[in-house]
Amino acid sequence: MPTPPPGVSARDFAAALRQLEEVVGREWVFSSDEDVALYRDGYSPLWGEAEERKASAAVAPSSVEQVQGIVKIANQHKLPLYPISTGRNLTYGGAAPAYSGSVVVDLKRMNRVLDVSERDKTCLVEPGVSYFDLYRHLRTNKTKLWIDTADPGWGGLIGNALDRGGGYTGIDYRDHFDAHCGMEVVLPTGELVRTGMGANPQAKTWQLFKYGLGPWVDGIFSQSNFGIVTKMGFWLMEEPQAALQVAVTVPKRRDVVPLVDGLHSLMSAHTIPSQVNVVSPLMAGNDPELVRLRGSGGASDADWDKFAAARGGAPFWAAQFVYYGPRKVITAQWEHTKDALGGIAGVKFAETASYTFPLTDEQVEAVGDKARLGIPSLNLFSSRSAAGAQPLEGHMDFSPMIPPHGEDLIALTDFTGKVYADQGFTPSFVGGLMFHPRTMICFHAVPTFRNAADNQRTRKLFEALVRGCADRGWPIYRIHPVFQQLGMQMFGFNGGALHRLHETLKDAIDPNGIVSPGRYDIWPKRLRGSRA
Amino acid sequence: MKRIGVAVLLALAGGAGTAQDAPIPAWSRTKAAVETGGTLVERGAAVFNNWCSACHSHGPENAPGTSSLQFKYQGSLPAALEDRTDLTADQVRFYVRNGVAMMAPFRKTEVGDADLEALAAYLTRRR
Repeated sequence: MPTPPPGVSARDFAAALRQLEEVVGREWVFSSDEDVALYRDGYSPLWGEAEERKASAAVAPSSVEQVQGIVKIANQHKLPLYPISTGRNLTYGGAAPAYSGSVVVDLKRMNRVLDVSERDKTCLVEPGVSYFDLYRHLRTNKTKLWIDTADPGWGGLIGNALDRGGGYTGIDYRDHFDAHCGMEVVLPTGELVRTGMGANPQAKTWQLFKYGLGPWVDGIFSQSNFGIVTKMGFWLMEEPQAALQVAVTVPKRRDVVPLVDGLHSLMSAHTIPSQVNVVSPLMAGNDPELVRLRGSGGASDADWDKFAAARGGAPFWAAQFVYYGPRKVITAQWEHTKDALGGIAGVKFAETASYTFPLTDEQVEAVGDKARLGIPSLNLFSSRSAAGAQPLEGHMDFSPMIPPHGEDLIALTDFTGKVYADQGFTPSFVGGLMFHPRTMICFHAVPTFRNAADNQRTRKLFEALVRGCADRGWPIYRIHPVFQQLGMQMFGFNGGALHRLHETLKDAIDPNGIVSPGRYDIWPKRLRGSRA
Repeated sequence: MKRIGVAVLLALAGGAGTAQDAPIPAWSRTKAAVETGGTLVERGAAVFNNWCSACHSHGPENAPGTSSLQFKYQGSLPAALEDRTDLTADQVRFYVRNGVAMMAPFRKTEVGDADLEALAAYLTRRR
């Protein structure tokens, strides 16, 4: 017999599981220890400890009606639910709930691509549809549309969008929540709503016009617990004639300031259409001098430039991005980019890959940087990169958001390098990734382990990064459930007014507090005292 | 058997190619439904294609799992799972349901028990 959720008697829980079986079929209610263990977060920073967030059971519906049936039962028994789409939000919690004892609502079986319009360049999908699924669908049907995939690509469009994940292609597509158009949601009361133009059943524009009439509520269903999203529409990019992948390098550390300013201007003018990575190849690896400089927390530009010179004068920074469109336009955009950035002493421009579409299957296979062409892969997953290396067990992403300023990128790199070193970790590789139009996300990998002692160190490191960066004006944009309370504390203007608003909404929308208690630190009234 | 396996995969993937040694196209991997036709081993090949090959195809490109196992085994065992002759069904079941290193386990809504048995049959066909 599985352990019931807190506050639910064993008898009620057993009754609830039987009712759930009636809704979805016995095969799709999981309550044995062995089956429930599949919903653990393999990358949990609390792995094996009493506080690890674990499900009590899981239920896997195949239809909207079944989701409504599950919600009805949950209200009856005050059963905490935790919906997941594909459950592959690894590094941000995976399939495990935010609140231990929750029943995971595994939406993977709802995996239909409901509609694709090549003419309108839109799709409508269910939560279990992964990036691989939709890519396959488009290729199989020879549809001249691209997806914008998260990397790795086994995540789902809906789950990734709702956690506000991102990809790599055009500006209208790579902010996955921004790229959605219309949703269908089972509210915690069981009522079904459609947002935007979908609220008019005859509307021909559900996937074309986001707002509908009246307040636009879609945003409250992201990074939250106000309902179970069962359908979402997305805008898709028309397959371009061509793409050109390029790299721009600059030689000195401080050159990142004019480089990022210039790139930001080019992105704002839509001259550069894709996501832009600004990385320092020099600052990757375990070179002892590199580790010393990173760990010092404030090595001078002269120290760093000397470090670079000692390594063959390799460029300090590299920006990588892609142009998509007609070949003639790409050529003009690239020439303009060279003009705009050409004033930086020592700047170099390189074309790294060129494509003409459509690609054959063999060409798809040969693409090196697949996500930049909207091609899903798992190529980021590698436990070992050298013989004899200790395999990586997992990691969390620490994701501070900074303005598009080279000074901030340098200052952040100094700060986090020292935090890692002070906590006994090798500093993470850092880059400034311009997913969104006017900010950079500086992902840091924070390793997780399958033992409590190392994870305790990891948690200390993670908290120091979150707090220290927020204090310096670089709060995170997304965070693992174990740290969502800490994360929201960093958004505490006016005594936590935003958080109070979230919980006011929670009380109104989910009176029994059944959907994802604790997600992004939003707790229903009945559980606020039990907040971690 | 490898050649037959690849041919089966291509057929199940919708006739993506005819050359028996052609790589499995990346885009054919990890689809939602697994075909129910064919022998147990053939179905297992489809399960492998859908759920495993994006990491564990022959590689070394587009196969981070194979690459990792290459570093681990250093040639003492084949890095590509499909080339192994020593795997047991229990090992296949264990790793799919428990994961290892960075590989997370697969839930039954992804790889169902029947699919897992087919996968085990496919990866142990050379024993």
